[in-house]
Amino acid sequence: MTDVALQSRGGQRDTPPAAEGGARERTALRRWIADAPAAYLLLAPVLVLFAFSVVYPLIQTIWLSFFDIKGLAKPRFYGFGNFVTLFYDGNFRQAVVTTLLWTVCTTALSVGAGWGIALLSALAPRQTLIFRFMIFAAFGVSEAVTGYIWLGIYRPDASGLLNSLLYGIGLGQFAHPWLGDAHTAIWCLIIAYSWAQTGLPLLLIYAATQAISKNVLEAAYVDGASPLQIMRHIIAPLSMPGVRVALFINLLGSLRAFDTIYVLTAGGPVRSTETIGFFMFRESFTQFKLGYGAAATLVLLVAVLIVSLPAIIQRTAGAR
Amino acid sequence: MIGKAPRWIPVVVGLISIAWIVPLIGIVVTSIRPEADTVLGWWRLDHIQLTIDAWIRVWSKYRLGDGFWVSAQLAGIATIGSMILTPAAAYAFQFLKFPFRRTLLIIIINAFVLPQQVVVIPLFTLWRQMGLIDNLLAVLIPYVGLSFAWSIFLVKNFLEDFPKELVEAGRIDGCGPISTFFHVVLPNTLSSIFAVGILQFLFCWNSLLIPLLFLRTEVPLPVVFAQISGQYDPNWDLRAVAAIVTTIVPLIIFLVFQRQFAGGSLTTSGSKE
Repeated sequence: MTDVALQSRGGQRDTPPAAEGGARERTALRRWIADAPAAYLLLAPVLVLFAFSVVYPLIQTIWLSFFDIKGLAKPRFYGFGNFVTLFYDGNFRQAVVTTLLWTVCTTALSVGAGWGIALLSALAPRQTLIFRFMIFAAFGVSEAVTGYIWLGIYRPDASGLLNSLLYGIGLGQFAHPWLGDAHTAIWCLIIAYSWAQTGLPLLLIYAATQAISKNVLEAAYVDGASPLQIMRHIIAPLSMPGVRVALFINLLGSLRAFDTIYVLTAGGPVRSTETIGFFMFRESFTQFKLGYGAAATLVLLVAVLIVSLPAIIQRTAGAR
Repeated sequence: MIGKAPRWIPVVVGLISIAWIVPLIGIVVTSIRPEADTVLGWWRLDHIQLTIDAWIRVWSKYRLGDGFWVSAQLAGIATIGSMILTPAAAYAFQFLKFPFRRTLLIIIINAFVLPQQVVVIPLFTLWRQMGLIDNLLAVLIPYVGLSFAWSIFLVKNFLEDFPKELVEAGRIDGCGPISTFFHVVLPNTLSSIFAVGILQFLFCWNSLLIPLLFLRTEVPLPVVFAQISGQYDPNWDLRAVAAIVTTIVPLIIFLVFQRQFAGGSLTTSGSKE
C-alpha cells in the first residue's frame, strides 16, 4: 500500500494535493465537482446496461399494458381495457387463486421444513452434517432438472415412485395419475418446488442457530433444561432472524417461479397449474398477446412490491 | 452443542432427509441401468445390471454438447462481466461524491425485487427490432444488467467496513479517484467480488426463461433439457444422463462454495458476537 502511494505521489508531484489549503467546505465542493467525471466514468457501463435491461423494460411493460397487441398487427391504444379483460377472464382469476395457494404453501412448506430440520440439527450439528448436505444439494440442482426428477416420481402407472410406494404398503387403491388430474397436479407441483427450496431456509436458519452465544446454552444446560426445552425456549426464538430472511427470500422466489411449472406441467391440465408468472408467459409468448401479458405482469409486480415493501424501505433508509 | 445430544436426533433428521436423498440417487441409478430394467422403476432389484450405454448414446441423440458449450459461454462471459463492472460501481457509490448518487443507488439496489417476467416482454420486442433474437448478446445483456441489482449491494455492503482512512490516504498522496480504486480499494475487495462471481455463475447457468425466449438455434443446457423432458418422452435413461450433465457443473460449484460460505458465515457470526 505504502509503495503504491509513494509511487503515485512521485508521479504527480506537480499537482498540489486536494486536501491542502482552502476552507474545509470549499474542499468538499471542489471534491464533489472533481469526483463527478471519474464517478460517471466508473459507472457508465453499469448505468447503460442497467438502463437497457431494467429501466427501459420496466417502463415499457407499463406502457404496453395500455395497448391491445395481437401478433405483429399494429398496436391499438386500449386504456384500461386489458385490466378490465383480466378481471373478467376466468383463466386469470384461476391464475390468481393458484398463485396465492402456490406462494403460501410453497413458502410455508419449505421454510417450515428447513426450520424444523435446522432446529433438530442445532442440537447435534456433527452427526447431522451429511443429511443437511444432501438437502442443501437438492437446492443446488437446476430447477429444470428438479422438474424431471419429480416427473419420475409422479409417473401415472406403477413405474412412478409414489404409486409404487402406495402399492408397496397396500394402499394401491390410491394410486393415481398425479399430474394428469387437475385436482392433484397443483399439489404435486407445490411439493416438488418446496422440496427443492428447503435447502436455503435450512442453511440460513441453521447459521442463525450457530450464532447463539454458547454461554446462554451452557447456562440453560447447567440449570437442568432438557435438550428439547433448550430447543423450544432458547434456540427456536433466537433463530427468528434467520426465519424472517428465509421467509422473505422464498416468498419472492415462489411469486416469480416459472421453471418447475414449465417442465412439470406447462400450466396444465386445463390451466390448473398456471400462476400469474406463467400466465403472462402463455399469453405473451404462445398467444402473442403482448399487451395483455404485460398487464398480467403488472399485477404480479404489484404483488411482489407488497411482499417486499419492508425490505425496500429498509434498503432505501440504509442507502448512504 | 453443550452436553450430550439425544441419540434420536440424528436418526430423525436422517429419516427426514431420505425424502431428499432418494430422488437424487434415483437419477444417477436410472442413468446407469439399461432402460428395459427400469421400466417398472429404477429401484427394482430383480435384475441388476449396470451399463454406460446411455452415457454414450445421449450425445448423438440430444444436443447436449452444443448446449454445454453455449451454457459455458453465457455463464462465463456474464460472470466475468459482472465481476469486472460491479466493484467499480460499488466503489463510486461508497467513496465518491457526485450528483444523483443516492437516487441512482436507491433505484439500483431496490431493483432486486423485480421478477424476470417484468422485463422479458419489452426486451423481446426490442431484440426483435434490433435483430438480436438468437444472438448471445440478447441473453448476456439482461444477465449482466439484472445482476447489478444485488451485486452492487453486496460489494458496497462489504466496502462499508473498508477503512475510509486508507482511501483518504491514497487521495492525499495524490491518487486520483480512479487510481485510488485500482490501487487501494480493488485489491482488497477480491473476496466479495468472488462471491458475486459464484452467485452470478449459478444464476446464469440455471436460467431458463430468458434463453428460452431470446435464443433459437444455440440454446444453453436448461433449455435443451426442458425441450426433451416432456411428460411423454420414454427415454428415461437418456434423460437421466442429460439431467446430470445439465446440473453437474453448477451443483459442484455450489457445493464447493457452500463450505466456504458456511465457514465464512460462522467466522463472521463468531467475530461479531
